[in-house]
Order: sequence, then structure tokens, then C-alpha cells
Amino acid sequence: MVAKPAVDVDVINVIKKINMKYQLLFVGLLMLGVSLKSMAQDSIEYKKRVLDQMEIKILSSYYSQDGDNAAVTGGRGTEELTDFAPTINVAIPLNDDDVLTIDASVSAYTSASSSNIDPFDGDGRADPFVESTGDSEKDTWFGFSANYSHSSDDRNTIWSVNSSFAIEYDYTSIGFGGSYTRLFNEKNTEVQLRGNVFIDFWNPQYPIEFTSGFNPNIFEFTGTTNFAPDFEEFVDTDRNSYNVGINFSQILSKSIQTSFISDVVLQDGLLSTPHQRVMFADIVDTVVEDFTLGNDVEKLPDSRLKIALANRTNFYLTENFILRSYYRYYTDDWGIDSHTFELEIPIKLGMKYTIYPSYRYYTQTEADYFNGFNQALSTDEYYTSDFDLAEYDAHQYGLGFKYYDPLTKLKVGGFGLKSINVEFNQYSRTSQNFDAYFTSIGLIFSALK
Amino acid sequence: MIKKISLISIVFLSLTSCVAVKEYEKVKLNDPDMQLSQSDANKMKSTFQSYREASSGANGGKTGGGCGCN
Repeated sequence: MVAKPAVDVDVINVIKKINMKYQLLFVGLLMLGVSLKSMAQDSIEYKKRVLDQMEIKILSSYYSQDGDNAAVTGGRGTEELTDFAPTINVAIPLNDDDVLTIDASVSAYTSASSSNIDPFDGDGRADPFVESTGDSEKDTWFGFSANYSHSSDDRNTIWSVNSSFAIEYDYTSIGFGGSYTRLFNEKNTEVQLRGNVFIDFWNPQYPIEFTSGFNPNIFEFTGTTNFAPDFEEFVDTDRNSYNVGINFSQILSKSIQTSFISDVVLQDGLLSTPHQRVMFADIVDTVVEDFTLGNDVEKLPDSRLKIALANRTNFYLTENFILRSYYRYYTDDWGIDSHTFELEIPIKLGMKYTIYPSYRYYTQTEADYFNGFNQALSTDEYYTSDFDLAEYDAHQYGLGFKYYDPLTKLKVGGFGLKSINVEFNQYSRTSQNFDAYFTSIGLIFSALK
Repeated sequence: MIKKISLISIVFLSLTSCVAVKEYEKVKLNDPDMQLSQSDANKMKSTFQSYREASSGANGGKTGGGCGCN
């Protein structure tokens, strides 16, 4: 028997030690890997879905207004209008992080002032305070939009893209945009950047007296036959809007949070409304039956820069009372400055029911180009008699009611009813004879798990 | 203009320096009526307001698109 040389034994021991080290290293790496995988799985398991289940919102509004200063008839005439607008909005969670929202709306309106684009197609005498009939009396607007949003795993970053399409008889609008939102400071601070572009196209409808073939001589009229010395059809019928906005939101305490909102909008193209008449003070009026014919349609600059800055602050006062406040300052390069104040006080009646009294005050200065009925001069470069651009104050009073059940105990098919919201608002201008009423109802359903 | 921007930045930065409210302390802030975004009813309201009033924007509603001419 031959004894092993001592050097071989040492080599074997060294090799064993190295193996042991490698084994320990391997086991260590394995444990680290399992641990990291486990942590990753944990973070996936505990990541809350941005939207748990598909949500369907069915919204509907009814709006009516009346006043004496219709822009279609040069700032004097009925503004009677009704609008019924149902909307369906579907939010679909594509996975834990991504949500696709699709919105389809219809707005069906009847407008007495629009009917007076042609005031001579009715049965009675033409009169700016009497609704005419014909195609321009009513129209339907269709709108579609889609929004896709993605949230990061830690929910501190959200980006979204959106597109929209809307069409009615004389107007088409295509829009697209996006936003980037970042949350900081344990989600106490939020900054959002937004951008949108709208590419719009007019199909201009001019007042009947400006269309070829109109002959005032077939009517009973006073004044001159040369009633529209300045009228020319618009050559450029596009309108583009470019919007960028920044939101900054901050939690101030356990019961107060605030948000500063800003929007800058640049518009260019045809910013006039082609069927809104203007009557000049320095041109003899032509009155057919009881209707004053236009001397021109409104002419407004082909660009407008709008800046809006706002603050919204919400206070959780008690278990039953919340105060929601809003203020906005607006200015543009057409000479309009406005202030908007709004207060809403949600009052909770038990766990599921809330009522919402609200008040809103609005005031604006008039546009540089505004003139009342028959007050613009034919020598002016720009003019309008649209009283929406006049100086005025407005008050709005509202009352809403909400049923809210996050557990969706009431089932309808494969969906649970999450909330019902009904709201009524009355709006009036103090310096003009103008009143409007707005009623809305909204139902939100959530798909059952 | 630079002074105004600096002042606004200081105000914003001072707001962020408030003590952070923890997630478990946000019960009141998470109430649906405390949300800073507009409700659906308010979005519909702001649409008709943007048609009838000369101003728009900074309210979560429409900022462009559409003639608003009815």
C-alpha cells in the first residue's frame, strides 16, 4: 500500500475549501434570487389595479335658454334654444396599469335664432323674435373620443393619449392630445402637463339675404336694396386650436387639498361665426316685413390667445359637510377679462346620499369688437353683435342629489349600480334678458367580479 | 415677469414643503366629493358655459374644438 503524498492531500483540501466557497456562494446567490423574485412577486401581487372593473357611465343633459339678443339676428331677437345630449362613457381596464376610455355623445338641439338664418321660410311674417322653420331650426351634433392611459408600477407616473372627432351640419372637429402626470412627496404633490390640438372645418351657412338668388323685391320692404355693401364669403374656413396646460396639486393637510390649473390656448383661422349678422349704424336699414336684413356677417380677427388661471381648493369640514371652492381668472387678446367664483357644499345624509347646493358668479368685460344692435360702423375692421362677447354678470344656482354605493349592491344584469347623480341649475345674466336652465342625470355601473 | 414667476415658484415650493400626509391618513381626502377633478355633471355644465361665455379653460372642460355657435 502506497501512502498518498502529503502535497496531494493539501491540494484536495484546498479544492474542497474552494468548492465549499463556491457552494456557499451558489446557495447565497440562489437565496438572493429567490428573495428578489419573491419581492418582485409581492410587489406585483400588492399592486392595486388602476381600475378594478369595467365602468359604464350613462349621462344625459337637457339645456334650455331664452333671451332677447340673438347674434344670428344682429343682437336683437329671440335666443330660444333647447338641447338634449345623451352620452355613454365606457372605461375598460386592459390590465393592472392601462385603461381605455371610449366616449360617444349626441347633442340634438332646436334653435329659434338659428332658424332665422332664413326668416322667410315660415308661415308668418319674418320677425327676429319669432322662430322660423326650415333646416336651420334644428341640428344634431355627434361626438366620439377615446383616451388611453398608462400608470407606472409605483403609480407615481401616468401618461395618456387621446383623440376625438365631432361633426354637425356646418362644423367638423378633429382633436388629439396627451398628458403626463408625476406624483411626488408620498403622493402629496402632483404635477400634470397637458397638450391638445383641434383641427376644425367650417361648412359656412350664410344668412339668406347674402345668398345668390335672394331678391328683396318680392317682399314688402323699406330701406335700400343695397343692404349688404361689405359682404364677402370667407375664403379660409379652417379653425385650429392649440392648448397647453399645467396643473399643480398639493395636499395641505389631512382635510384640505388644493390645485392650481392653467391653460394657454392659441386659436387661428376662421374665428367668426358665418351666420351671425351685423347691422351698421352708418348704413340705411332694410326692413323686410318685420325683419332687419344684415349689412354683413360678423368679422373677428383670425387669431386669439386665451390664458386661464384657476385654483380649486376642497375642505373636508365635518363628517357631513365638504366645501368645494373654485376661482378662475381669464384674459385674452380680444380685450376680454373675466372672473369666475364657485362654491359647492356637498352635504352627506347618511352613508349613501349627498345633496349639493351650489352657487357660481361670473363676470366679464366686453370684447374690443363688440357693438350692440345697429351700432357697428362699416368702417370698422372687426365687428360683432354677439352678446356672449358683451360685458355682463351672471349668477348660477344649482342643486344636486347623489346616491353612491361603492359596494354596488343593486345589480342590473352583469353590472352593479355605483351611483346616481341628478342635478338642476338655473343661470341668469343681470345686465341682459337672458336665462338658462340645465338639468343632468348620470348613472354609473361597474361590472361585477 | 421674472419676479412674478419667481414668486409663484416660491409659493409652489413652500406648498410642497408641508408635512406629507401618509396614505393611511388620507381617508377624508379620498372621499369622492374631495376629488380635485371635475364631476361628470360639472363637465357637462362647463360645456354649455364655454358656449355662452367668452372665457373657457382651467376647469377640466373644453378648451377648443367645436364652434359653440348655437
